[in-house]
Amino acid sequence: MELSESVQRGLQSLADPSSFDRRSYQVLVDVSFRSLLSSQADPSVLDQPELKQIDQILLKQSHTAATTFILEAVKQNADKSTISSCLEELSFSADRIEIFYSTHQEHRKEVERLLASIGRCPPHIHDASWCLQYHVKNDQVDKINEPFYLISLNTEKERSSDDINFTCTVEQLQDLVGKLKDAAKSVEKASQM
Amino acid sequence: MKEQPPHWSRTGLFKVEPQHLNQTLSRPLRNLHPAPSEPLRGGPAGKLCVPVETVQRGVEGLMYLMTESSKHMISKVDFLDSVLVLGFGEELNQILLQLYLQHHSEIRSILSQLPSNLPGYHNLEWRLDVQLASRAIRQQVVPVLTMRLLLTGGGDGTGELSRRVLQTDPGTLLHLISTLEGALAAIKTNHARRIFRNIK
Repeated sequence: MELSESVQRGLQSLADPSSFDRRSYQVLVDVSFRSLLSSQADPSVLDQPELKQIDQILLKQSHTAATTFILEAVKQNADKSTISSCLEELSFSADRIEIFYSTHQEHRKEVERLLASIGRCPPHIHDASWCLQYHVKNDQVDKINEPFYLISLNTEKERSSDDINFTCTVEQLQDLVGKLKDAAKSVEKASQM
Repeated sequence: MKEQPPHWSRTGLFKVEPQHLNQTLSRPLRNLHPAPSEPLRGGPAGKLCVPVETVQRGVEGLMYLMTESSKHMISKVDFLDSVLVLGFGEELNQILLQLYLQHHSEIRSILSQLPSNLPGYHNLEWRLDVQLASRAIRQQVVPVLTMRLLLTGGGDGTGELSRRVLQTDPGTLLHLISTLEGALAAIKTNHARRIFRNIK
């Protein structure tokens, strides 16, 4: 894993027992994961009693370095040996490596999900609603007397939701369902490969 | 039909020979859109030796007759009764009736395509992909179903298709299928069948 100099420096301070004793190290590691996973930025995240004794600038630098390292490790799907060797090079003791790694394992799936949700993609369909109506007449044509469907596809894109509404006849809905079933069949076939 | 456009008596259609009538009518009936903007100067006006405005009003009147008749799907008898009121000759009435019978289903389908305020389904294209990586995260294995939904209309009345690119996952896909199959089942219920039978 490639880490910038400032991240390496921040991590080295974190490894140093004279800057962070065992207790405050554990707290900082927990706080780093928590600050990534909480839905809102919390300015008081570093206001822990165990961290009060530490030089505040050093604290911030280590916190930044730790969170960067966490994100990079999850992004690259780094395994235990990669993480361990990386931290070893930065003078982390075996004990501290173990503490970091177990916290990492605990929160890893959540961080993965967070990273996977970042990025642009087409609107994602979550649900569909429908209603069946009978078209009697309109202002242009009389005596229509045909059933039709109003379909609403509920989509979400980057936390804003939108609905796509359209009408279709019975045959068109059969066509649509047929195509979706073809898609589902090919998903099933692909999953068996 | 109860209403007649007020200018009928002034259209000069009374003087028209049957063969000219057919010629005059076939073109406007083909472009049944809001107002026939194409002036009928050279052709019919010249041949009939009447002013252009008269021909214009005549054509508009005839279009109104045809669209209203098609809209209400009136029978032959009702159509002839309506036209009788106008006092044209018997031959002219028969020509008008033939025109109506020939064109009414076409006119109805054109009328039903006039700007509706709801987009309609046209087609769905789909593809199955597997997402392997993104800028934020590498080493993914995420199946993605990407779709392109083609819809008509939507209020601009040009008949152009709008295209929406959408995405979903296999789990939601199965949910969508079962939801929409439920929709198809609704039409087979006794309740629905009763309504279809009774509203005619």
